[in-house]
Amino acid sequence: MLINKNELAGFLDQLMSRYQVFAPVKEADYTNFKQISSGTEATLDYSNTKIPPKGILFPQTEKLFSYSCGTEGAQVQECIDQQKKVVFGIRPCDAKSLVLLDNVFNNDKYQDPYYLTRRENTILVGLGCNRPAGTCFCTSLGGGPFDTTGLDALLVDTGDKYVVEILTERGRELFSGTTLPEAGEADRAAAAAVKETATVSCTVNLDGVKAKLDTDFYDPIWDGLHEKCLGCAVCTYTCPTCHCFDIVDDAVDANGCRVRNWDACMFPLFTLHGSGHNPRPTGKERFRQRVMHKFKYFVDNYNVMACVGCGRCIKNCPVNLDIRAILAEIQGSEARLDK
Amino acid sequence: MMRNPYLPLPMKLVKNFTETDDKLVHTFTLEYLNAADEAGFKYSPGQFAELCVFGKGEAPFGIASSPTEPGHLKFSVAKVGVVSTALHLMEEGTMVGVRGPLGNSFPLEDFKGKNLVIIGGGFAFTTLRALTAYILNPANRGDFGKLTVIYGARTPGLLLYKDELAEWEKRDDIDLVCTIDRPAEGWNGRVGFVPAVTKEVAPGADNAYAVICGPPVMIKFTMPELEALGFPPERIIMSLENRMKCGIGMCGRCNVGNKYVCKDGPVFTRAELNQLPNEY
Amino acid sequence: MPELAGAIQEAARKLLEEKKVDVVIGFAPGTLPLRSTPCFVHRPEDAAGLTWNRSCENNLANYLRKRTDKVAVVAKGCDSRSIIELIKENQINRENLVIIGVPCAGMIDRKKVDRRLAGKELLAAEESGDSIVLKGDGFTETIPVNELLHDSCLSCRHPNPALYDLLVGELLPEKGGDDFADVAAFEAKAPAERRAILTEEFSRCIRCYACRQACPMCYCEECFVDCSTPQWIGKSSDARDNMLFQAVRVLHSAGRCADCGACERACPMGLSLRNLTRKMVKDVQELFGYEAGANLEDKPALADFKAEDPQPFLIEE
Repeated sequence: MLINKNELAGFLDQLMSRYQVFAPVKEADYTNFKQISSGTEATLDYSNTKIPPKGILFPQTEKLFSYSCGTEGAQVQECIDQQKKVVFGIRPCDAKSLVLLDNVFNNDKYQDPYYLTRRENTILVGLGCNRPAGTCFCTSLGGGPFDTTGLDALLVDTGDKYVVEILTERGRELFSGTTLPEAGEADRAAAAAVKETATVSCTVNLDGVKAKLDTDFYDPIWDGLHEKCLGCAVCTYTCPTCHCFDIVDDAVDANGCRVRNWDACMFPLFTLHGSGHNPRPTGKERFRQRVMHKFKYFVDNYNVMACVGCGRCIKNCPVNLDIRAILAEIQGSEARLDK
Repeated sequence: MMRNPYLPLPMKLVKNFTETDDKLVHTFTLEYLNAADEAGFKYSPGQFAELCVFGKGEAPFGIASSPTEPGHLKFSVAKVGVVSTALHLMEEGTMVGVRGPLGNSFPLEDFKGKNLVIIGGGFAFTTLRALTAYILNPANRGDFGKLTVIYGARTPGLLLYKDELAEWEKRDDIDLVCTIDRPAEGWNGRVGFVPAVTKEVAPGADNAYAVICGPPVMIKFTMPELEALGFPPERIIMSLENRMKCGIGMCGRCNVGNKYVCKDGPVFTRAELNQLPNEY
Repeated sequence: MPELAGAIQEAARKLLEEKKVDVVIGFAPGTLPLRSTPCFVHRPEDAAGLTWNRSCENNLANYLRKRTDKVAVVAKGCDSRSIIELIKENQINRENLVIIGVPCAGMIDRKKVDRRLAGKELLAAEESGDSIVLKGDGFTETIPVNELLHDSCLSCRHPNPALYDLLVGELLPEKGGDDFADVAAFEAKAPAERRAILTEEFSRCIRCYACRQACPMCYCEECFVDCSTPQWIGKSSDARDNMLFQAVRVLHSAGRCADCGACERACPMGLSLRNLTRKMVKDVQELFGYEAGANLEDKPALADFKAEDPQPFLIEE
């Protein structure tokens, strides 16, 4: 199938009658996924969004339930979003991040109905990356500019049109009700050529990183790695795989709602005990936790690194604390024998 | 439709009891508002639950009652934060939300046929009380060997469950040793810190498990005594506390290494903890 | 610039060799074009890793609070002004600090660069006199530095360090007083319009607290946003709470903010935070005649009471 670029807005308008459509929208100096109310709001001419689209399934602030308490007890009203959604134009790295997050929200003991219901109802239409950025290192983590992990369909930009590759039954369902022309031989050849030429120039050597992290929790290397870290949440909030959250009540007296908000392992409050004790008292422990979580603990638990190589943390860190450099230092550090 | 693990069960606070003479620990007895909910709340000693005060939030507490005591749940809560303070001030008859049971429990199957040494300090005795009550239940007592309970507090008034301790004192199927840090008027029992008392009492390690909960300093100094008595790390059971929110292994804060205290714990063997970083 | 980098390296190496300090905090080349990164040098042989150029934008005063070791720091005009305030607030032990002052001709704003490149990716950049040469896949653009400097650098009146132990490079001519034309323009708007602008702006705040963390003066043991008893502010990302957060943060920096712009530079969302901080800087100057970081002698505005201080909020005048 094909979408001519000049017909894209009309196509998105068609989808909107059946789904909530989320697409990249220009906002200030960046692009972010937003629910659109007109196809013309979407722009597929973007590198990657400032904030990852994980927020569509796992919003930064989300009401879990509302409650009101009276003499006869509490009335609790669950707020589960059942709307059918399409995320249109998601980059392959971000789509892969959702597959990683599935492990967390559907773990060995519990299911998170908020995330999983949305996930079940969300179709992911990917947009391949013709020109990966200099900070992209997806191929080092098993992804790629046209990787289809997690996607229901993939768009390949061949200049004045997008060649659509249907990948799943859900993808088929999405496109079945539309009136798009079929892709011809030449279009398919053009798409193949684009895929051939797209290159990810940045690579991160992850060989042995997990093995090092398995043994170097107490290594002196951690004394220095975090030194310039400010302890803000830019890396975590812009990370497509970071999933930590806080739960708070937003209420007047005993009427209100329970809300969950993104939280970050870089904040001291994150682990502070009521007694005042903090198991991760300084930036060193908090920074180590972030690296360990992504490149060791997640691997221990789910057999995959919690990073997709999108480069957002690199581009947005206020002090240029580059995860690629950190991984290189860990990788190159002396093996410790005195564990 | 999957069960929503974030939704609290409605329960009624039927008793708000001031447990310690410094008034900082209260024991709350809760009853199910809907009798049918009880069947769904199947728990085991060592597990915890999130107590929810509508309008304030929720916080995790070990379950102090035993499943052998049907009809209600018990929690002993120290006043430290927003939720615990709100609970302390709560009038009997008020609605409380309960989310759980959460976490793993003491390994009761492994304990069967074994002697047990339960060591507790201060207000960390809550789930140990649940375990003790469970074992002492006539239906279960025969499954376990000799039961020794060593329980210490700074002063007599800070011991939890004083009436119950007095009952246990009278029984011959439990060897209860209560101790306080310094001599106090009216106290005829033992005086001394838990590590020293453990050494004196010297419970045998053969065919035995030790279960220990208490303040970090107590744990730190009791551990060498247990080792000297011959308890291997695999037969020393501990319960961790870390800041928690979700209680179901998703919100990311309570992990110790690759284990979540809420989902994979809070009960760990000393051997398991030896393999994990010291972030608790 | 390369001369300045060399001089900084030399000074750092000497300080470390002579064991006058345990660590030198400066800048090293970063991993992105037009990006330097804060760098902690502990050994004399590592001093060669230090650099100086137009991308040394972070305020290094942020790394100096409550340190117990002996530290040398590379300080621009703005860094030095924050250092002065931190010394006054007893956050820095002056005796353990060596300030390597560097006159600063302004730092490049990568957001302005991105705007000029309109979506094209910057792959390399060079400083060439008063211009910057931007290079990418199939393009080279030469742009005058002035068009790419941070707004905080364009309005900066104090390019020279206000306090230093060693000076690297030549002092630059001081500029005249700040006319605060930008603040006046915002003040001139109707309240409803100001509110609308601020609401729009802060609806984009993601509460990552990069502004707070990047600010040398934000160092409360418990920030009011984290306080739970009482809870002053909603924890969720909500435009009204976001605005309250910024308003209180800015008020809290009254008479302490050196207008370095670190908050705005750190903000991943590009919020105009200096729109608020500069209003505070202007008000403190006008009401109390105090300029944060000007010198070590003036008593901080909030620590000094004069009978003639204006207090229209207390007394009908």
